[in-house]
Amino acid sequence: MDTTLSTPTTGPRLSHTEITNMASTYSHEWRAVCDKFNNAQDLSEVESRKDPENDPFRSKYKARELLREIYCSLKNFDVGENESVNDEADQRPTEQPVDGGMEESFGRGHCGDSPAGSRAAKLGAVEYYLGVNHVETEELSAGEEHLMNCMTLLEKCSISPENVSLFIQVRNQLGILWAGRDEIEKAQGFLETAEAMYIRYMKEDGQPPMDLTEFFVAEEEALPQQERTKRFEMAYTHTLYYLAQVYKNLEQYEKAGGYCHSTLQRQLEFNQFLPLEWAINAATLSQYYITKTLYMEGRHCLSAASVIADLAGEVPSEAAAQESEAEAEKRDQLRQKRAEIARCWIKYCLNLLQDAKKLLEDNIGELDMDRQAELRATRLKEEEEKERGRKSAVLFGSSDTFDSICGLEEKVSCVFPVDFEEARAIFLVGQTYVNQAKEYFEMDGHVTDHIEILQDHSALFKALAFFEEDLERRCKMHKRRVDMMEPICKDLNAQYYLLVCRQLQFELAETYYEMMDLKLAVANKQDDLDAHTVKKFNHLCSSSTKFYQMFLDSVRSPEGKWPEKLEDEVLRPALVAKFRVARLHSRLISSSKTIQLENLNRSLECYNFVVQYCKDNPEAKSAIETELELSEEMVSLLPLKINRLQANLASSN
Amino acid sequence: MFVVYVFRGVLIHSTLGCLTICSLSCTVSSIPCWQLKQVREENRKVVENYTSERTMRKKYYNMVEDMKGKIRVFCRIRPMSRTEAAQGGAIAVGRLDDYSVTVETSRGPREFQFDRVFSGESSQEDVFQDTNRLIQSAIDGFNVCIFAYGQTGSGKTFTMVGDRDQRSPGIMPRAFNAVFDILQENATKFDFKVSVYMLELYNDRLQDLFVSGAEAQSRRVEIKRNRKGLVFAQGAETKEASSAGELFAMFQQACANRHNAATKMNVESSRSHLIIGIMVESRNLTNGSVSFGKLSLVDLAGSERAAKTGAKDDQLKEANSINKSLSALGDVISALSSDLPHIPYRNSKLTQIMQDSLGGNAKTLMVVNVSPSDCNLDETLTSLIYATRVKTITNIAQRNLESKEIAQLKEVIMKLRSGQPVEDEEV
Repeated sequence: MDTTLSTPTTGPRLSHTEITNMASTYSHEWRAVCDKFNNAQDLSEVESRKDPENDPFRSKYKARELLREIYCSLKNFDVGENESVNDEADQRPTEQPVDGGMEESFGRGHCGDSPAGSRAAKLGAVEYYLGVNHVETEELSAGEEHLMNCMTLLEKCSISPENVSLFIQVRNQLGILWAGRDEIEKAQGFLETAEAMYIRYMKEDGQPPMDLTEFFVAEEEALPQQERTKRFEMAYTHTLYYLAQVYKNLEQYEKAGGYCHSTLQRQLEFNQFLPLEWAINAATLSQYYITKTLYMEGRHCLSAASVIADLAGEVPSEAAAQESEAEAEKRDQLRQKRAEIARCWIKYCLNLLQDAKKLLEDNIGELDMDRQAELRATRLKEEEEKERGRKSAVLFGSSDTFDSICGLEEKVSCVFPVDFEEARAIFLVGQTYVNQAKEYFEMDGHVTDHIEILQDHSALFKALAFFEEDLERRCKMHKRRVDMMEPICKDLNAQYYLLVCRQLQFELAETYYEMMDLKLAVANKQDDLDAHTVKKFNHLCSSSTKFYQMFLDSVRSPEGKWPEKLEDEVLRPALVAKFRVARLHSRLISSSKTIQLENLNRSLECYNFVVQYCKDNPEAKSAIETELELSEEMVSLLPLKINRLQANLASSN
Repeated sequence: MFVVYVFRGVLIHSTLGCLTICSLSCTVSSIPCWQLKQVREENRKVVENYTSERTMRKKYYNMVEDMKGKIRVFCRIRPMSRTEAAQGGAIAVGRLDDYSVTVETSRGPREFQFDRVFSGESSQEDVFQDTNRLIQSAIDGFNVCIFAYGQTGSGKTFTMVGDRDQRSPGIMPRAFNAVFDILQENATKFDFKVSVYMLELYNDRLQDLFVSGAEAQSRRVEIKRNRKGLVFAQGAETKEASSAGELFAMFQQACANRHNAATKMNVESSRSHLIIGIMVESRNLTNGSVSFGKLSLVDLAGSERAAKTGAKDDQLKEANSINKSLSALGDVISALSSDLPHIPYRNSKLTQIMQDSLGGNAKTLMVVNVSPSDCNLDETLTSLIYATRVKTITNIAQRNLESKEIAQLKEVIMKLRSGQPVEDEEV
């Protein structure tokens, strides 16, 4: 404005004194507006946080008053200015019909940076701030009205670097407003338009646009380009952040996931993030990708999470933590979050192994050679190239973090392992993270978390054992599982940790069962069942039985009574446990016919239990179809064998 | 599990409701007056039976739930306040019977089922009568948690603490008495030790209420659980109490400290929760066995600023312009799939604390307090469901795959059937 006035060639000629007078009045008034605006911003953003409980919006109301005054001043003197300076521009809007079409606004109305366009944008900005103010003070309808006034003012303008930020931010606000009224689709409309406007502006113009606050500062206080870019990109990041929430609320989870990813990408790119919060969000997102078997994406998120979490600084020493509360808090936060990320890595390794196992196993859970060859083949080059294409879309990283993220990624594969060597590499990474996570989640104080990590460790061993061809070594891996779970299972108070105890009991029973099978397979291979092996076998057999029995006992009432009806969550596990106990009893090896008979009778008793329970509770049948069928057969066949054995026993006596 | 309550209730309602409607439609076709009268009489009986049966069913259902040890939820509707009455607000929340509440919503009436419903006429004694049994459980060695939830001004503190001059004491002071009454009764059989800690959770920070002033600021308190299942407040002072009076004096001291702390901090105090832990250690005098039980009493802060911070579930959470935080992103990502392998995102200390008391096999009672003229039940339900996400016992047992063992057994059966000899270890 000042430059236009001081240039004598444009506009009506004015005497020197007139020019100085006007300029000073103008700049005086203008300065007052700017001061008011600064005040309002300060009241709204800073002062308001100190407002008392019983008058929570005091500063917001004061800010509102100032904004209203600004609005009036703008209406009054800006019109005069514009008329005297440039008549032409004011003619234009009257010729233009008000058009609501968003896309249209690109080429219509005032040129965004014409004086009239600038005036409309300024008024629009005040309306915007008034709108936000009303929304913040819970006057939604009034807020909506101001925001819509802003929309109407903008409708007359084409998008320019001066106003594009306002175009986007007013829609962000309207999106929030309508979502709050349960009108998600309406919110979606505003936000998607904002998204389209950003994309189009960046394609067609792309220069760093003015920030909203710059409407009310003297020219010499204009923001540097870098700051403008930062604020503008932040506004758009918020658009994406709101869209992520909108799609979540609309239950379009895949789309929501995509927007979460873009939000994280942009936070990093424009350096607008809190390291720990960002890292935890990226780690959570990795878990989503894992459920979709998108391991490349999952790994990328986790690597980025680890690298960014490190940006949050060094963990204060224990001594430092004892000195000050702040250091203690920081130490705890950093350790906890890093341990959480380690746990996400564990799940990554575990799921990768387990998913590979599912692809490779035959119908009895053993490694299938044909499938192995098949998986090897599909993993050829073309597959990897396809991934590279996918990868470019999801990359995280600012220039300084990118290399470290890639470096971390290289430490673990993201393709399904096909053999023991590959599986072991993944297992070892998982195990490292197990140890890292346990450092924070210690048994004392973090019982549930600690045990969950142990269960994952055990599951890692189990998955690795699948790939191991040597039966003795496989058996040793299961032994490691027993060694880590058994002491805890005995130590834990079953009254408070019922669920965990049951899980451990069941898993221990299964692990012993597995070991028993392996021992027998080894003995069969060597064709020698010596007394030592038999003893070992029987020991594993009874250990398995013992833990199934402990699990079954946990279902009983405190008085030791078996419930007439099993609860849903224990129905299948309990019947499976009974079924396995039946099987285990009949597998015990004994040379004594009396003991054999005893074992068979116990076995029959358990099979009978399963059959009888399903007879009494027909709705249970569907839960254990196969096992029930087999139990029924055994109930009809076992008595014959028992009779034969009995006869045998009688005759030998 | 909350959903199940509601759902079951509705289910019972609709089937029986159908019956009533059927018999009502019969009346239309019958002409003679005496017949009409008879049918009316029958209808009245049907409705009566329906009502009593509905009540009975809910009662039995709740009893079963109770035996299972899951969390129980009471709803307490406070009377209309003078200001509300003056503003001419209509009553939108009503108690149908002992177990159900209706709420007039913009989308028509909605019915909610609870384990018990108390109206404005119910006294503090009425409410406490049903909580008494839980105190016995705590002494028996269980983890018991009683807490109040609801909007600010809906009567939480009245329920938990009582009125200012303790003319109608709430659950906390009554529980102090009840604990020692029960101990007295069993004094010949058991040897008891009662200890207590009192904490305030404020701005996601735990504050020991037994220490005051600067010392309280510098002390770091954390709630943890040990392998025996005992919840303990690490870094907080634990005091022994030998009588209900002593306990109450400590409580009053804690309340005084709480007040001080809140005003000193000079920020919104609406996020302050009061947490009291009473530990009972009992030694059986005949056999020497020792058991630990714990009673947690929690007065949760209200959420009067909820609208401002966007606490409602389907509202968009705004970006925090001051500290770059996009705090809701974690929520969104966690919601992307119901079976994320690990969720590193933890809402707050409060959820952590509450999760401990809601999960596992703790015995928990929640009193939802509502004002008759408004309602926040949706929000309540969401947070409850979040806190009680049930995990399955074991993935392995849930899978219905043909395992090695089943293949083996099938082989055995085939052999047995065909009369082939079966080696002992193969059976």
